[in-house]
Amino acid sequence: MSQDTIVFSARKIVTMNPSRPSATHVAVREGRIVAVGSFDEIVGASGVRVDDRFKDKVLLPGFVEGHSHIMEGMMWSLPYVGAFDRRSPEGKLVKGLSDIDAIVARLQEAEAAMTDPEAPLFAWGFDPLHIGSVSLTRQDLDRVSTTRPIMVVHASFHISNVNTIVLQRAELDRTTNISGVVMGKDGEPSGEVQGIAARFRVFRVLGTNPLSGNLTADDVNRYAASSCIQGVTTITDLHNDLADLTIEVYRAASRRDDFSVRLVPAMASVSHSPEQGVEKIKALKASNNDKLHYGIVKLVVDGSIQGFTARLRWPGYHNGAPNGLWYIAPEELPSIVAAYHNAGIQLHIHTNGDEATEVALDAIEAAQIAKPLPDHRHTLQHCQMADAAQFKRMKSLGICVNLFSNHVYYWGDSHYDLTMGPERANRLDATGTALRTGVPFAIHSDAPVTPLSPLFTAWCAVNRISSSGRVLGKETEALTVEQALAAITINAAYTLKLDHIVGSIEAGKYADFAVLDEDPLEVTPEKLKDIAIWGTVVGGHVREAPRA
Amino acid sequence: MTAASSVKIPVTVIGGFLGAGKTTYLNHLLRTGSARYAVLVNDFGAVNVDVGLIAQHDGTTMTLTNGCVCCSIGGGFLDTLGRVLDDNIPFDHIIIEASGVGDPWRIAEIALVEPSLRLNAVIVVADASRIADLLVDARVGDTVRDQFDRCNLVLLNKVDLLNRTALDAARTTVAALRPDIQIIETTEHTLPTLPDGEVKATLRFAATAVDNRADHESAFRRWSYQRSGTFDGARLAAALAALPPQLLRLKGPCRIADDASPALLQMVGQDWALTPAPADMTAQDDIMLVGVGTDALPDAGALDAILDGALTPVSQTPPTTTDLNRRQATFIL
Repeated sequence: MSQDTIVFSARKIVTMNPSRPSATHVAVREGRIVAVGSFDEIVGASGVRVDDRFKDKVLLPGFVEGHSHIMEGMMWSLPYVGAFDRRSPEGKLVKGLSDIDAIVARLQEAEAAMTDPEAPLFAWGFDPLHIGSVSLTRQDLDRVSTTRPIMVVHASFHISNVNTIVLQRAELDRTTNISGVVMGKDGEPSGEVQGIAARFRVFRVLGTNPLSGNLTADDVNRYAASSCIQGVTTITDLHNDLADLTIEVYRAASRRDDFSVRLVPAMASVSHSPEQGVEKIKALKASNNDKLHYGIVKLVVDGSIQGFTARLRWPGYHNGAPNGLWYIAPEELPSIVAAYHNAGIQLHIHTNGDEATEVALDAIEAAQIAKPLPDHRHTLQHCQMADAAQFKRMKSLGICVNLFSNHVYYWGDSHYDLTMGPERANRLDATGTALRTGVPFAIHSDAPVTPLSPLFTAWCAVNRISSSGRVLGKETEALTVEQALAAITINAAYTLKLDHIVGSIEAGKYADFAVLDEDPLEVTPEKLKDIAIWGTVVGGHVREAPRA
Repeated sequence: MTAASSVKIPVTVIGGFLGAGKTTYLNHLLRTGSARYAVLVNDFGAVNVDVGLIAQHDGTTMTLTNGCVCCSIGGGFLDTLGRVLDDNIPFDHIIIEASGVGDPWRIAEIALVEPSLRLNAVIVVADASRIADLLVDARVGDTVRDQFDRCNLVLLNKVDLLNRTALDAARTTVAALRPDIQIIETTEHTLPTLPDGEVKATLRFAATAVDNRADHESAFRRWSYQRSGTFDGARLAAALAALPPQLLRLKGPCRIADDASPALLQMVGQDWALTPAPADMTAQDDIMLVGVGTDALPDAGALDAILDGALTPVSQTPPTTTDLNRRQATFIL
């Protein structure tokens, strides 16, 4: 072997390559895998240098997060006040907060650390459903400050809570009569604001919107750091306008040798006409490098199930809530799909409810009939309510699916009680049905909506247990650990058309590894999420995860 | 922030399902704009004005020689509208195109809470040849029905595609959704200018040749309400809710008990807001509201009685002769 070849030895290498499922040595040169095998096969008498720093570790292919957002990197500049533990990009375990007092205390701490008394304090991650449906009121936030504007953005990103000073400055009071300003029992605004009008007004008086600021190198670096902490080596940014400034930030970051993740941005169809979009994707693809992979387009057909904005087929929402919202009209979708399909561009289509899924299936079917595109791999994203018949259509049409397994844990109880009822909630994110039907599938976090952590996502798909402990459809829909690992590696890579270069440890692919303390195939399935992750290797570059 | 908030920029939201003719209407408004309009559109590509009318075009903003500006919402609605409000010279009118599957009222609400804006109108454009089918469509029927919930005006468009019987059926279907609403029949060649919800110019709507209503002026009635004294805040809310749907809008200065400074009441349809009255607004009485309704608006006496119920007891004095005269005078306007 060549001089510049390095051989990593490990306690075990789980390759996710079915022709060679496990090994102990992997040889790496110029960022790529030269060979995988045993000591004898790889090292033998060659005298090649062996790096044994991983001799007690277990290597897996670097995890592939097929549906997450750069917002994960942006949000961590703000305090987190959600109910569940999360790992910050610095590697710090940020404890979940289970009641209002704890949220107030964390905000007080953040407030005390701020130097500019006028600067607004933003925080994120709150979800009343996770703390017993208790509201966060303006009076609660006034305990943090009566002079500094405070805004807490919910986990859904659609609702916020503000303190009294924000309401006063925005002139929102008991006489305000718009749908997005929720009134409290005292007849005054409770501090909960939502919808376009209230958001516009509030962001205008605050002078800033933390969710729409320009992307910075720091944001991208945080995203890469969080990826490393979770063993992720390929990550999507699955809905981005791809403004010129963003493109430049991504270009600069991805060209740095020490940049430790491969980025797969999806262009948001909504910000471009299909004709513009096709041209833009073609131009961007020409600028791809080994850590930046343009080429996919994201469409959003409906809203979210727990927000009652997903489009459901009959009989609709279990609690009788009115049907949700179309973000793209059903009759408009076929022409958008056809425009990209005909140009050979892969689509990732957000459909939460089963009516949205049906419309997407119809559109792809029409495009395939009009102009067959072999191996298109159009992928339905979330696709949480699809039934067996819809999976069979996906199979027939060559469609992939990326299921939102984290929902089983975070909102499984809401789906059981409110949105879908027991029968449909039990087949929520039907990984078992996908397997039986033969539809290629991945599983995802949608970070920052839920925490970025493919091992946790795999744990959800294996155990199918809600945060209250209710088991949902485990007998029929759960994956084995091995199947779940495939869904966060090689199969996720397949949905991104990157499975020829990442997703498994085999000769020719990028040397991208997740470095684990334990073998996921040996721990009990209940412990899958608890396996410590040492760090990653990306293109042969070893990166120990930050710990704080 | 914004310039003097004493001058409020009127906002008109144009809604309606895909293919109804929203863009055609926006093109018409841009071309014929007699004031400096800012027009926010979803799809720049569909905007179609003569090249000779374009003074400047940078990909997201198009400036026309008649002073109008057309902005693409593509880069984010909130940012785009924010930029329009921050323009050095305030626009005369802001016109916003709602998404074909969106509820225009959600956007209209901005004008109820942003002090530099006032809501002029929410217009829904409907394709007369499709609207009856769309309203009962299994997939989009609810979306389409919601768009009509709180609009002020319907342009029943493409009427040239229908015979009179079919057109009457379409009209009846829309009227059944909103019996109180004004419907104007239009074609791409007979689109109206913008309604002006503030003044008599509302009546400029005498535009459409095919409209079978002979006299548009008779389609509106005005009502003026003047009192000295104050409203009780809670009872005012109840009274406003009790006003009949034939009252399309109500506006003017008033006083609320326990509030030292005068307030400005603005109500459109069932939705209303109270904001601090602009400093330069002078009123002879504490309460001077002017309403516009359909020709079926109940008598002034009946409407007066509803609002009188919201006055705080001390000021529940009967109107003076002067009041009555003034009301009469206003009514003739």
